[in-house]
Amino acid sequence: MTGSGDSKKVTKIERKIETKITISIDPRAIELCVRCGTCRSVCPAFEILGWESRNSRGRVMVVKALGEGLAPDSNVLDSLNTCTTCGICAAKCPAGANPPEIVQKARTRLVSQGVMTEAQAGLMRKVGASGNTFGEPGDRLGWLSDPGAIKEKAESVYFVGCLDSYRYPEVAKKTFEILRRFGVTLLPDEECCGSPLIRTGSDARKLVDRNLDQIRRIGAKTVITGCAGCYSTLKKYYPLEFEVVSVPEFLAERLAELDLKRLDLTVTYHDPCHLGRHCGIYDPPRKVIKAICRLVEMKSIREDARCCGGGGGVRAGYPDLSLEIARRRLADVPPGVDAIVSCCPLCIRNLRDAGSEVEVIDLIDLVGRALEVDPDPDPSSRYESPAAERTTDESPVG
Amino acid sequence: MDLIDKLREIVGDRISAAPSERLCYSSDASQVRGTPDYVVRPLTTGEVSAVVGLAATEGVPVTARGAGTGLAGGAVAVRGGIVLDMSGMNRIVEMDLSNLAVVVEPGVVQARLNEALKPSGFFFPPDPGSSNFCTIGGLIANNGSGMRCVKYGTTRSYVLDLEVVLADGRVVRTGSRTLKSAAGYDLTRLFIGSEGTLGIITQAVLRVAPLPKARRLVIASFEDAEAAGRAVTRTFAAGIVPSACEILDRTTIEVLRRCDPGIALPPDGDVILFEVDGTAESTAELAAEIATVCSPTARRVEIASGEDEMEEIWAARRLVGAAVSRLDPSKSRIYVGEDVGVPMKEIPALIREICSITERFGLPAMKYGHIGDGNLHVALFIDVLNVDEWTRLLAAADAIHRAAIRLGGTVSSEHGIGAARAAYMTEQLGSAAISVMRAIKRALDPKGTLNPGKLALDDGPSPGGEG
Repeated sequence: MTGSGDSKKVTKIERKIETKITISIDPRAIELCVRCGTCRSVCPAFEILGWESRNSRGRVMVVKALGEGLAPDSNVLDSLNTCTTCGICAAKCPAGANPPEIVQKARTRLVSQGVMTEAQAGLMRKVGASGNTFGEPGDRLGWLSDPGAIKEKAESVYFVGCLDSYRYPEVAKKTFEILRRFGVTLLPDEECCGSPLIRTGSDARKLVDRNLDQIRRIGAKTVITGCAGCYSTLKKYYPLEFEVVSVPEFLAERLAELDLKRLDLTVTYHDPCHLGRHCGIYDPPRKVIKAICRLVEMKSIREDARCCGGGGGVRAGYPDLSLEIARRRLADVPPGVDAIVSCCPLCIRNLRDAGSEVEVIDLIDLVGRALEVDPDPDPSSRYESPAAERTTDESPVG
Repeated sequence: MDLIDKLREIVGDRISAAPSERLCYSSDASQVRGTPDYVVRPLTTGEVSAVVGLAATEGVPVTARGAGTGLAGGAVAVRGGIVLDMSGMNRIVEMDLSNLAVVVEPGVVQARLNEALKPSGFFFPPDPGSSNFCTIGGLIANNGSGMRCVKYGTTRSYVLDLEVVLADGRVVRTGSRTLKSAAGYDLTRLFIGSEGTLGIITQAVLRVAPLPKARRLVIASFEDAEAAGRAVTRTFAAGIVPSACEILDRTTIEVLRRCDPGIALPPDGDVILFEVDGTAESTAELAAEIATVCSPTARRVEIASGEDEMEEIWAARRLVGAAVSRLDPSKSRIYVGEDVGVPMKEIPALIREICSITERFGLPAMKYGHIGDGNLHVALFIDVLNVDEWTRLLAAADAIHRAAIRLGGTVSSEHGIGAARAAYMTEQLGSAAISVMRAIKRALDPKGTLNPGKLALDDGPSPGGEG
């Protein structure tokens, strides 16, 4: 999968190893780690890979050593890049260390000096050329049947995200059908939020600026998104000029106005790391689900929830590892549920690709059924089949 | 053929010589450092035997490592060579509960074993703070124990039989599944606590205990640690043996409250946690008795409201060792002088000495630990970027160790000697005892390839020690 010390990396890196690399990360952030080993028990990548360099404690040691002259060879890059940035190590760290933040900073420093894997470089090229994580040349708003829905001025905008724009257009459509009832509009020329580049160490400022410019022109005070990765990025990497609201939060506050019907279903809920642990959104999706049907929790939930394996560039760079992490997450699904519901298209995609036996659906899909606005009674048919998805050559990053 | 190729023939791609991998295996949670030349992750006894045999032939050191959570450098390859990462050998081989036994590989994590045992109504009592991530192999190699050893004893009390790879690669069994045996030298106990210097443990038959039906937690706070210590003595004198008896000084309480402001611990004073286990009736009775014993001298005495509150307190207690940075993010816990133990009646004297030492060196400290068995954990914390604080830290740790020895105690109650405390072995045990240990080491490992530089068993340097 990613053994320790294998040498499969691109020549670009090998050349760079010859040059002096400077990595300076706040030494206090690094020294907070006392190497107690708590993270060994929770790191999802380490659980599969087993090498010390593939857990948070090891990664912090590697980053510290990079600052002291360790050459960033392929094992270093695999150490840093197999972190899904799920943040469970930070949540559990008794000393308050934040390894994903350290890892992400180290990735940024390395990439800025030209040291990266082929997967990182490919993603940077793709997003740079197309403004989306898939390198898609097509219309980002291709799913929108009524271009008149885009208003020049509005209080709120729906930030769709790359995955729902290009891969799950029905989710985008369904979400917007509900949101526009509340006067929400769209960005006319939305681009990737920047999350994939930020997570993998690349510069996302141009993307941020272009999206920000449109948000300002519309005069939006609120940006609503249904993607956990976009939500976390909009919240943490964009200026504090507008409120960022997740679709589950938006819906949970408007349950009375939505007139949802009860459905005879039992579902479970997967907490996306970037919505849950990173941003503390745990209750709103549960509130919405419980307004519609029965909720049976997974084995690990909320701040203890296991990662789907899709984030941090792991899906793009280490697909086998990513899917194995997802398979282990599927083992947390309680028996007898009709669906796994989540609020992140990347999680949904990874859990499906890992072979979930029950359908994995977006919260908006459940809401759509409860609203009876969906002409199609079978929610699963609105998604590509997992088998079909697996054949595509895409590298979404969380 | 190079050594790396020979090792690769044994374990395939489960070997690394990558600089960053070797770096990640160059320390545990102590300050001891030593970079291995190779990291090998065996999965079978056969592989361990082949690697150890090869190392003996080539004269290369072999250091076994579990989760690398040690606090004395026991798993650090201070002379280089091969680190054997045993954490991949993590199968529970057999649940032989009709014999009150389980058979495990050394890489099984303590908490995972107890999760597996719980549905059957049993548990493996040694309960260190690191139970969620430390391995059984490491516990055995260091005779670890934890919070419940005041009633249940240390790991030593729960090992019936070991499979051990000797220094020349031979594989031996040391015991049997019988609960007692009088057949010759107790080889099982010889290997327990030997820190990988005599052989590599590849399988263990462990005794398990029935899970108590109920537990109760009494929380008593006192004016100072000495008053707390005296209350513990009175509790034992009243004929009560708690299943755990922990002291948390006021600094520790402050850290715990910083981590969880809602935690059910009194905000002031030094606190003793008394846990009793048994049936619902017996624990209620014992908890009330403890409250009666403590009340005359305690500031306040409370009984935890239920299982959840108890679990919350124990979970916080387990991780408090590394949590001092919550009080001041510019300070880090450094594990030195952290595991001293004294005969129980000397606990108040030890606490006095430690207060005087930390004051003398101007270092803040948390004091917590297993007061019921005389084991006190002193958590010294410093700004690691400050050279002067490092100097004072090491001097304070040295003074703490010597104070424990002076009081008839030990420099390590449960964390082990490793390289960090090797310098105190002769002072604590005497030169005659050390010479016997060295004779045993020579008999079992004549070439000295197994974990050299530890326990003062050889004359070479033990780099990275605390001084």
